[in-house]
Amino acid sequence: MTFLSDVWYVAWRELIKFFRSKVRVVVTLVQPLLWLGLMGNVLQGFAKAPYVQQMLGTQSYLAFMTPGIILMTVLFGGVFSGISIIWDRRIGYLEKMMAAPISRGAIPLGKMLAAAIQGGIQVLIIVFIATGLGVRFATGPAGILLIVLIAMVFSTILSGFSLSVAVTVKTQETLMALVNFLTMPLMFTSNALFPRAAMPAWLAAIAKVNPVSHAVAPIRELTLYGWNWGAMYTGIAVTVGLALAMALFAQWMFHRATVE
Amino acid sequence: MSVAVEVENLVKVYRGGVRAVDGISFSIGEREIFGFLGPNGAGKSTTIKCVIGLLKPTSGHIRVLGTDVRHDPGAVKRSIGYAAQETAVDDRLTGWENLYLQGRFYHLSRGEIRRRGEEVLKLFGLWERRNDTADTYSGGMLKRLDIACALIHRPRILFLDEPTLGLDVQTRKTIWEYIEKLRAEHEMTIFLTTHYMEEADALSDRVAIIDRGRIVALDRPGALKAAIGGDLITVRFSDAGADLEPLLVSLRGLDGVREVRETSDGVHRIVVERDGDRLIPRIVRLAEEHGVGIHSIRLKRPTLDDVYLHYTGREIREAGGSREELIRTRVMSRRIRR
Repeated sequence: MTFLSDVWYVAWRELIKFFRSKVRVVVTLVQPLLWLGLMGNVLQGFAKAPYVQQMLGTQSYLAFMTPGIILMTVLFGGVFSGISIIWDRRIGYLEKMMAAPISRGAIPLGKMLAAAIQGGIQVLIIVFIATGLGVRFATGPAGILLIVLIAMVFSTILSGFSLSVAVTVKTQETLMALVNFLTMPLMFTSNALFPRAAMPAWLAAIAKVNPVSHAVAPIRELTLYGWNWGAMYTGIAVTVGLALAMALFAQWMFHRATVE
Repeated sequence: MSVAVEVENLVKVYRGGVRAVDGISFSIGEREIFGFLGPNGAGKSTTIKCVIGLLKPTSGHIRVLGTDVRHDPGAVKRSIGYAAQETAVDDRLTGWENLYLQGRFYHLSRGEIRRRGEEVLKLFGLWERRNDTADTYSGGMLKRLDIACALIHRPRILFLDEPTLGLDVQTRKTIWEYIEKLRAEHEMTIFLTTHYMEEADALSDRVAIIDRGRIVALDRPGALKAAIGGDLITVRFSDAGADLEPLLVSLRGLDGVREVRETSDGVHRIVVERDGDRLIPRIVRLAEEHGVGIHSIRLKRPTLDDVYLHYTGREIREAGGSREELIRTRVMSRRIRR
């Protein structure tokens, strides 16, 4: 019980700070609007061609890319969560938390939870905007709920990774460099924004194993088609598995970096 | 008086091989204010962090209120409060939120936090500002909030690592008043580290002087001062050459002079038992007789500064000048930031 309470209050602090920062909240709202409104509409033209529709599996590029934008948003949000731990270490807050009788493991987990909740809120905003732009979610509110959950679990993979790096590198600049080096390729070697059928063979091979593609598959299924569990379970299992592995890895890295 | 903190032969060697604490032993009685005095890099923070369970000692025993830190760190953490050298306040949270969070980290209930929080914020004069974010606070207010946070769970022992570092004189005095109030009204045991002599002198019941990871002296401030003699006369002779030695011999022969020593910066320190003011004319006369000119002469009552100099052979502000100590300080401050 106290462990859950520790995790929650670590997350609580991050969330308060998130909502207090008006700029961050505004960016959270505007960013998906830009992505969907600009990119979605710009590329809508080429989705008129029948062979493109065949590759996309839908007539609307916007509907195809919405799951991709959902993952991209939580991905970019998650990778920044390591910054907070570097900051905490700098100002001595990390030490203050560790001097209190909380479980050490609650610190990285709480930060991951905060990133997941922020991500979940962003996903809801994206769903709202996409609906406004004409995307119809095939599975309705229940499907949207599952989409939000998958995206939150997915965000844990990235925040866990970011935290693991952050406890090792100790400076924000290094963390940012590493994280930027990874996120863009991760995004563009997946089928989040472009169909695999349109990729050259080597890229399609990468896209097949890319965790982003695995997470996007069930979300796309829920958005475009319906409750086809057969097409979703691999993606969900891989995402949950990776999230668990990353959470454990982050715990281990955090423990290793703070015990002396 | 029962024992609050007991440290035996504490040694801490960091992973890089730096021996930050090198066999320290001391004990603190309940309701005592115990001061750790030493320059940066002397091992003060490392000792505190070992005692409160943030660092694992390389060897030695530590008991806090009878509990071994290694056996039950949780119990020790619950009975102590700690305010680190760097003021660890989240400045994007309000004063109250900082306090609330701290209370939650000590697993207090909402009601307990409300009652206790009001009490400590009022005690530290921050109640009116509790709903302002901490980035609007002054340095002194931040430090007070930090100490208030350390008190939310009613600890029996409070650890303050350099509580007034970087604060101006006025604010330091205010913090001292709060510290004294805590002991007087709340019966707390307080362990504080400082490299300000006046601070150790003004607050502590007993002071341990720590240098290069060892305790070189430990006693009441008064006793430490008495140990180095009554008054202190410092004389700077102008270029004396060969005439100086016979003069020093006669000075040592003067009635009431305990010791004459030359310090590293060429000043002679004459320790006298009492009435240093009456000795000055005689010193001047002796110097004239030996043909040695006096550049300046000064009389002062001993302070902990002199005690520090006496035990370590260095002034506290010049301590830490050697290369080895520079590295030690650097390694240590890196630790602290981690």
